[in-house]
Amino acid sequence: MVEAISLKGQASARAGILMNSAEELTARARSGDHEAFRSIFERYARPIISFIYDMVGRRDLAEELTQETFVRAYKNLGAMREETKISTWLFGIAKNVARESLRSRIREDHRVGIDDDRVVEMSDGKLPPDRELLDRELNGVIQDALGALDEDKRVVFTLKVFQQRSYEEIAEITGSSIPKLKTDLHRARAEMRRRIRPYLGVGYEV
Amino acid sequence: MKCEECQATIEDYIDEAFAVRTARDVSAHLSSCAACSRCHEEFKREQTIYASYQRDIEVTPALWASIEARLERQRAIKTATLFETLRERFAGVFGAPRLSPAFAAALVLVAIGVTALIMQYASSRGNNPVAQNGPTGTQVEPPPNKPGTVPELPKASSGPAVDQPTIAQVRKDPRRSPATGRPTPEQLVREAEQKYVQAIAILSRDVNQRRSKVDPAVLARFDAALSDIDRTIAETKQASRQNPGDPIALNYLLAAYSKKVDALRDMARD
Repeated sequence: MVEAISLKGQASARAGILMNSAEELTARARSGDHEAFRSIFERYARPIISFIYDMVGRRDLAEELTQETFVRAYKNLGAMREETKISTWLFGIAKNVARESLRSRIREDHRVGIDDDRVVEMSDGKLPPDRELLDRELNGVIQDALGALDEDKRVVFTLKVFQQRSYEEIAEITGSSIPKLKTDLHRARAEMRRRIRPYLGVGYEV
Repeated sequence: MKCEECQATIEDYIDEAFAVRTARDVSAHLSSCAACSRCHEEFKREQTIYASYQRDIEVTPALWASIEARLERQRAIKTATLFETLRERFAGVFGAPRLSPAFAAALVLVAIGVTALIMQYASSRGNNPVAQNGPTGTQVEPPPNKPGTVPELPKASSGPAVDQPTIAQVRKDPRRSPATGRPTPEQLVREAEQKYVQAIAILSRDVNQRRSKVDPAVLARFDAALSDIDRTIAETKQASRQNPGDPIALNYLLAAYSKKVDALRDMARD
């Protein structure tokens, strides 16, 4: 899912450029049009920063890595294959940037066990005082559960469930085969389900 | 469809990642099987929870400002690097021969070598060509047949030896060594010049194709540097015309061509 974002203070004159197709913007950015690259940023910054945040679990780090993703993208626009979608290409860079960061950092603080207090509390069947608190708590549980997935499963889960990318796109981003992606996604869903199960029946009926 | 099959494909059903026919089969099964239907509902609740996931992160104008600052810094570094490279090359062409004793010594040796060759050539022109070139004294040996490397001599207007130059013609042609038929130093210089000109034409075309992708500030500095090199080429050309065979002038001329090729090549592949 591609989300267009609107930055505070953005000039209305820029609205037109945001309406351009991704292909057109990409072609213009490749030929050195700085404004076109800015429009690409505005269009894809939110999904990219969300993806990176889901991968690394820290806001400051996610912002830093998003910067790095777009700087690398700008520098390598000339090397991008013409048939590649800009969104797929950006997610591929973001995945590499996030992975490099994860491998250089110890992230024990983002790992929680199944006996995490929040989960145990909900397992006891206690209802939260209000929906907002539940949402906040659930967000924390999802974030922690994501952090507990191994990298391959986290990538495919985030791209498929949160970013709603097709299997073909995820295969291009990750370099993995579609059967492997499906297996990883199935396992990731099972692990995530185990952690969010206490919330499935509480105020989230469809 | 059986329950096992349905539950195995229910994730793909949620993801809409299989064929319409299979989807119809799953849909039909779900409407008739309470257990699988509960399973499906649980998946849908999961999806709803994931859809409501809020991250504690925003895209702020500061993020773009940081990216822009980094891109600007990189452009500045790139420009400075290119400018520094060109400046060093100029210093190499015009500064080093005057300042570096080793380079000056090498240049003197080259000059002595070239001068010796020219003197040998001049000396051979001063001797009796008849004694060197055959008993009849009427003809000289034709040059080796190397098309493209030895310039053609003007043809005689008439007579039996129409394809062979006369002694007078050889004496008038400074490009050819009458003793050996080998290219003269001056001729070698001209051939090298010709090759540089060809390389410059090819590289200039490549650079022109890249112009729109290059930062305008970088391009301006590059063009200015290229103009300086062109001016040097023109001046050294004029000097070598005024003093034909002057090894120093020829050396500077070829060095300037070489620097132009290097600069264009760097810009073409950068």
